[in-house]
Formats: sequence, C-alpha cells, structure tokens
Amino acid sequence: MPNAIEFTQSIVNGISVGLIYGLVGIGFCVIYNASGIVNFAQGVFVMLGGMVCQALLTSLGIPLILAVVLTIPLVALSGLLMEVAIVRPMMNRGATLFAIILATLAAQIMVERITLLTLGDRPRTYEEFTSGGPLKLGDVAIGYQLFWILGCGALLVLALWLFFTRTRSGRALRACSQNREAAQLLGIPVARMMLLAFGLSAALGAIAGILVTPTQYTAYNVGTPFGVNGFIAAIIGGFGRAGGALAGGLLLGVLQALAIVVLGAGFKNVAALSVLLLVLLLFPNGIFAGFGPNAKAH
Amino acid sequence: MALLSVQNETKRFGGLLANDAISFDVKEGELLAVIGPNGAGKTTLFNVISGFFPPTTGSIHFDGRDITGASPHRVASSGLIRTYQLVQLFKQLTVLENVEIGSHRVTEGGVFSALLRPPSMRRQEEEVRATARELLRFVGLEKQADMPADSLPYGRQRLLEVARALAAKPRLLLLDEPAAGLNMQETAALAEVIRRIHAGGTTVILIEHDMSLVMQIAQRIVVLDFGRKIAEGTPDEIKAHPDVIAAYLGGTETLDA
Amino acid sequence: MIPWRTLLPIAAAIVLTGIGLLSGSYAVTVLGFAFIYTIFCTGLNFFMGYTGQASFGQSAFAAIGGYGSAILCADYGWGPLPALIVTMVISGIAALLVGYPTLRLRGHYLAMATFALGLIVYEISIEWTSLTQGYMGYSGVPPLSLLGYELGTVEQQLVALLVLALFGIFISNRLRQSRFGRALAAIAGSEAAARALGIDIARCKLIAFVIAALYASAAGSLFAHFVGFISPEVFGVTMVVQSFAMLYLGGIGTTWGPMIGAIIVSILPEALRGLQEMQDIAYTAILIFILIFAPRGLAGLSSLFARGKSRKLEEA
Repeated sequence: MPNAIEFTQSIVNGISVGLIYGLVGIGFCVIYNASGIVNFAQGVFVMLGGMVCQALLTSLGIPLILAVVLTIPLVALSGLLMEVAIVRPMMNRGATLFAIILATLAAQIMVERITLLTLGDRPRTYEEFTSGGPLKLGDVAIGYQLFWILGCGALLVLALWLFFTRTRSGRALRACSQNREAAQLLGIPVARMMLLAFGLSAALGAIAGILVTPTQYTAYNVGTPFGVNGFIAAIIGGFGRAGGALAGGLLLGVLQALAIVVLGAGFKNVAALSVLLLVLLLFPNGIFAGFGPNAKAH
Repeated sequence: MALLSVQNETKRFGGLLANDAISFDVKEGELLAVIGPNGAGKTTLFNVISGFFPPTTGSIHFDGRDITGASPHRVASSGLIRTYQLVQLFKQLTVLENVEIGSHRVTEGGVFSALLRPPSMRRQEEEVRATARELLRFVGLEKQADMPADSLPYGRQRLLEVARALAAKPRLLLLDEPAAGLNMQETAALAEVIRRIHAGGTTVILIEHDMSLVMQIAQRIVVLDFGRKIAEGTPDEIKAHPDVIAAYLGGTETLDA
Repeated sequence: MIPWRTLLPIAAAIVLTGIGLLSGSYAVTVLGFAFIYTIFCTGLNFFMGYTGQASFGQSAFAAIGGYGSAILCADYGWGPLPALIVTMVISGIAALLVGYPTLRLRGHYLAMATFALGLIVYEISIEWTSLTQGYMGYSGVPPLSLLGYELGTVEQQLVALLVLALFGIFISNRLRQSRFGRALAAIAGSEAAARALGIDIARCKLIAFVIAALYASAAGSLFAHFVGFISPEVFGVTMVVQSFAMLYLGGIGTTWGPMIGAIIVSILPEALRGLQEMQDIAYTAILIFILIFAPRGLAGLSSLFARGKSRKLEEA
C-alpha cells in the first residue's frame, strides 16, 4: 500500500505534467474556436518543441534562452504551414469534417516520420532550466522545473487572457469562435484569424514541449500521448475556455499520477484513454462546461 | 375514431413556449392544413407529432395508439410519414434509389436475407423497383430516374421527396411547406399531386404559407398564432374568422395571395 | 449476365496475381499485403463509404484478429480456419459492445472516441506481455491451411488471399445492393430523412460497425498467417492512416475502390526504388493530396463518365 509521501509526491508530479496537458488542451481550443476543427496533429507541436530545442542546444551549443527563442517561432511556422497547405485548401473546397480530421492525422504521421528520418529514434532530453534541486519538503522532492512550468503556465494564461480581451486580433478571434459568418460580415479577416490560431496553437504546443522535456524525455513519437491527453484536458474543460482546459489538464495529470502509484506505470495510457472514452460518453459537453451558463453540445 | 389525435400538446424550449396546449383531431381520409404566421409553432408541432421532439406535456395518439415521445423511426414505422421544409434528399444517390429507400417501412429483410437472397427477397426487390418507377411516373419524374438526386432543379426535388414519402405507403402524410421556394407553375403541379394523393385515400396534413394553395385543396384548416390554436374550420369559416384576420393583419402576411 | 464493370476488375486482379506469381517471391509478398489490406479497407469502406460514419480505430479489431489467431494457432494448436472464425466472432462481439455507446457520438467526438479505441488495443498489445509478448512480437504463426491442406508456399497463399479478397468484395457489394444496404446509404445521405422513413439509425450503424470489424479481424488474422509474425506496430496508428490512404485513393464508397487503392499504395513505394525508407511519408503525402484535390478518389473518375452518360440520355 503506497504511503502518504508517495501520494504527495505523485500529486506534485501530476501537477507538473497536468499543466502541460492543459497547455496542449488550450492549443486544441484556440484552433477549434477559430475554425471549428479539432486538430489531431496537436501533439506534434509538443514533440517538435522538445526535439527542435534539444537539437539546437546540442548541435549548435547555443544558450538555452536563445534555443527557446528560436524554437518557438520555428514550431509556430509548422503550424502556419499546416493551415496554409492542408486545412485552408480543404475548407475552401468544402471537405467533410472527417476528411479534415484525417488530413491532420496524416500530417502528424508525416511530421513524425520526417523527424525520425532526420533526428533518429533515440530519446532525447536536456538539463532542467535551473540546475540544483530538487527542492526537498520533508520526503517530497519537487524539481525546480515544476516552478518553471507553474510560472510559465501562469504567465501564458495571463498573456492569453490579455490577448483575447485587450487586443484587436484577440477580440476578432473570439468573434470568429462565436459566429464565423457574422465575423466575416463585420469585416474580420476570418482566413487570417485561422492562420493566427494555428500559429498561436503551435507556439503553445512548442512551449509545452520545451518545458516538459527536462522532466522526462522526448522522441519522435511522444506526440500522440500528449495530443490525446491534451484533448482529454480540453473536453473535461468543456472545449472552449482556456481556464477550463488548464483545470482539466491538472485534474487529469493528478489522476494519472495517482493511478500510476496504485496500478503501476504499465497501463497508464490505457487508463488515460479509458478516461477519455468515459468522459466522451458520459459528459459530451465536458465536466466543467456543465456548470457554465451557455453549455452547448458539439 | 380519429386517425391522429393531438391532445393539449405543449412544447417549451427553455423560456420559449413554442406550442401551447394545442388540440385537434384528424379523421381518416381527411386533408387538413395547418397555417399561421412565421414563428407560430407549425414546424415544432410537426416535429412533436413525428417524434423528433417529445412534447413537454400533452399526448399524441395515432391510429388509437399512444405515440407520445416515441422515437422518429418508430413513429414513421407505424405509417406516419413526414417531409421537410428544407428538402432532405439522399443527394448522392439516384432519383430512383431515393424512392426505393422510401419503401423501407413496407418491406422486410436484414443482413442475412441480403446475403442469401431467397426468391421471396428477389421478388420483393422487383416490386420495390416497380413501385418506385410507378411513383416517379405519378409525380412526373420517370425520365430522371437514373440521375443523381441533387442534379434535379429545386421544384422537382420537392416532388421527389413526396414520391419517396409515398413509397412508404403512409397512412398519414405530413407535408411541411411543400410549396416553399416553388414558382406558380411548380406550385400548381404540386397542388395537383397532393390532390391525387388525397383522392387515392391517403390522409394528409399540410403546413403551408401559400394561402391560395391551402384554400384550394384543404378540407379543414387549423390556425396557429404564437404557439396557440386560434381557430379551426373549413376554408370559408377561416377566411371570415376575426382572430385569424387579426393575426395575419398584425403580421406581414395576408390571407389573399 | 455479369456486367463488364464487374468482370474487368476481377480479370485485372487475376492478371496482376499472375504477373506477381511469375515475378518472384518479393512481388508475391507485396501483392499478398495488398489483398489483406483490400479486405481491411472493404470493411472500412462499408462503414465509412456506404454508411457515412467514421472510425479511426478499426486497427483495434485487426489486432484482435491477428493476436487471436496467432495465440490460438501457435500456443493452442488450433487450425487457422477455426481460429479465424472464432476471432471474427470475438471481434464482432467486441464491436457490438463498444459500438453501442460509442456510435451515439458525432463529429469530433466520434472520431476521437474511435481513435482512442485503436490506441487502447495498441497499448494493451504492448503492455499485456504475458499474452502478447509486448514489443517482442509473436512469431511462429503457421501459414494458412484449408481443409487440412497447408498452403505452405507464399504463392499458394497469394492465390488464397486473392480469392478471399474477391469474396469479401462480393459480400460487401451484395449487402450494399439490398434493403439493408439502401438503409445505410440513406443514413449516409441524410439521417433526418432516413429517420422519417422509419429506418432505425442506431441499429443500422451498429450492424455496419460490426461488419467492418469482422472484415478488420479477418484481415488481422490473415496478416498473422501470411507473415508468420505480428507485433504491436503492425496494428498502430500507421495502419489506420495507411488504410485511409488506400480507401481515399481508390475511391471511398465504391465497390472496387478499396482494392484499387490497396494495390496502388502497396506497390507504389516498391516501384519507386529507394523510396522504401520514405514509405510512410509517401502515403501520408498521397493521402493529404487526395483529400485536398480528389476526395472521390480514382474510382470517382469512372463515375464521372457514368454521370455524363446519363445526362446525355436525358437530353436525347
């Protein structure tokens, strides 16, 4: 039987990975709100964030801050490319929802394979942002990276909130999510907003990937688990609100960490996927959305 | 006994009262029209009768059986067939196939009979095809039988939808604004088709905006306004009914079209 | 009387098999995979093309078939045919149990839920090592045998796979051309209209899902026998995307599309030598290209002609 310390420790671990899921979940919501599409390739941005940052660090030997500053726009660029080359032409041609979902899934496999061919299949990681640690609180160890994740997560949510409420582009994006046709009539450049959403969403994924890699590892195939867990976070949060997705991610991360303590690590993905199915079937509007004033079905 | 009996049917959407304690009967072999200004609750009434929404309170009886809250396919299986205000065709399929699908209710067979194809099944398939062609002739679409349904002009799509509904051999046919979007000529052709359906013994309920059509062919009219039934009677009675005139004059529509 | 539109593809498949048999065992292997994927895609086509639904997790049922056949034959000495049938029954029951709640979902939720199903089975096949031997995979699966006669060579197996693929297409087409098949087409066209004609949508979708699962399961079992070895990777996400590439290339919702697509996607990387390494990249690129520019696939081209013909008839 696991003791109290193990439980506390797993909750601490769960919070850090859960925040990452939350960031990925927000990425899902940003694109969904702007375009009505769930981007199945969302996890790829997390993978690219970690892989590109690691590659820059080791091959160029540049300082971390510079690597981060280079990685985020590079990955954001891949998001823009996905929008321009795949999603936009399909929407213009009136492709079905399933076809677009499938195309994003194909894009994920393609990016994974290209990464595999160029960077190999070796798992990679790099040092935590702040050396030393972990911080010991009694018998519970808290890695310094957790504080980076917490801090960056909080900053990002604040920045997103400011962006969506205080800037022209942010407000235009929100208008698109309410009603795309009406937004178009109001003179909002909906196409450019979709581009912005994909770029923003990819950047969020990249940041998540950069932050999480030091706590575990990254490889060409880590995208799917992050994508699936981020999606779960988003639907627990009711698919729409950034805060909801973040809360959903935290809940999921902690539950998963506890499940590992109780059940062992082997079936943690099976457990997460089963949670996904249960949430989909039992709460088609999301758990937190049920309490909101304008809960709606998708 | 009435074929369809709507008793105190009320439908509420949140704060909106779409249907408010509506009651009326339809006798076997009748042609009844439901009219009312936009937003009077006509389509909601159809959706409740055909099982697409359960009523908030009240009951629907069809052929003596309580069908309140039954699922749409069960209601349809019992012989109450509806059409849609916005045409709902199987666009990718041919005109003929659309009508063949209509026969689902009056035919039998699942996976196993599809695989084994016993003689009875082959006979049934031949009948289905023959009936479908006959119905296409009935509405004047026999020449277009092998065309994709979505290549038909709008007026003919409406006729196709009616033919498809007839393939289900309805005991009661609910037509939701069949003349919407049709020109004068097409409306006249449609009126003729409806008259012949009715003459063939099928009970028909018609929601319609086109007053001239309703006054021409309906035997009895139910008038809705703001979700309530405000009048019921023959076309002549309805034309003279003060509440009806008020409702229509208050809105943007007039009784003489 | 069999129309030329049916005879032509059958003849082409037989000729191709003949060429394959003459060109050596490598070509035979490639074609064998193509026919196995034909069976898988025919099932997928039944659910997606005919019924208009989406499943991103059919690989789950292929895994049940593959591992089921492997375990029953290698560990318990079953014959391939009984194992094939029993695993199909298991897959069918699994599809029934899983499909009942899942198929109520729509749009993104249906896509994600079925995707999750595929991933769950994939994860189980990795983690339940006592049953599946995990990443190591399961080897020593005997080749196909019929009525006690073992199809020892790949050539014999290829002919068997061709017959089975054609049989699968025959069944699927027969089902489509029936009252049941029309009901599925109705659901694909307009659920509202289908309901209003008395079609029990939930039931029809569930049956179509089960049928698709039976095909997937059979394909998984046949793969295990043909290769003699299976591992979790065989039934991963790449299988899903690859089969979609085949289905969309060949033409979704058409009788022969699955076979045409399966053959082309299987042969293409082999034909362009040096591309083997880039195989996954090649077919994802093909898939995306087709999804954008020709969502009706190659078979869609022939129906363009058919449509032109009926237009002309009408004018005459």
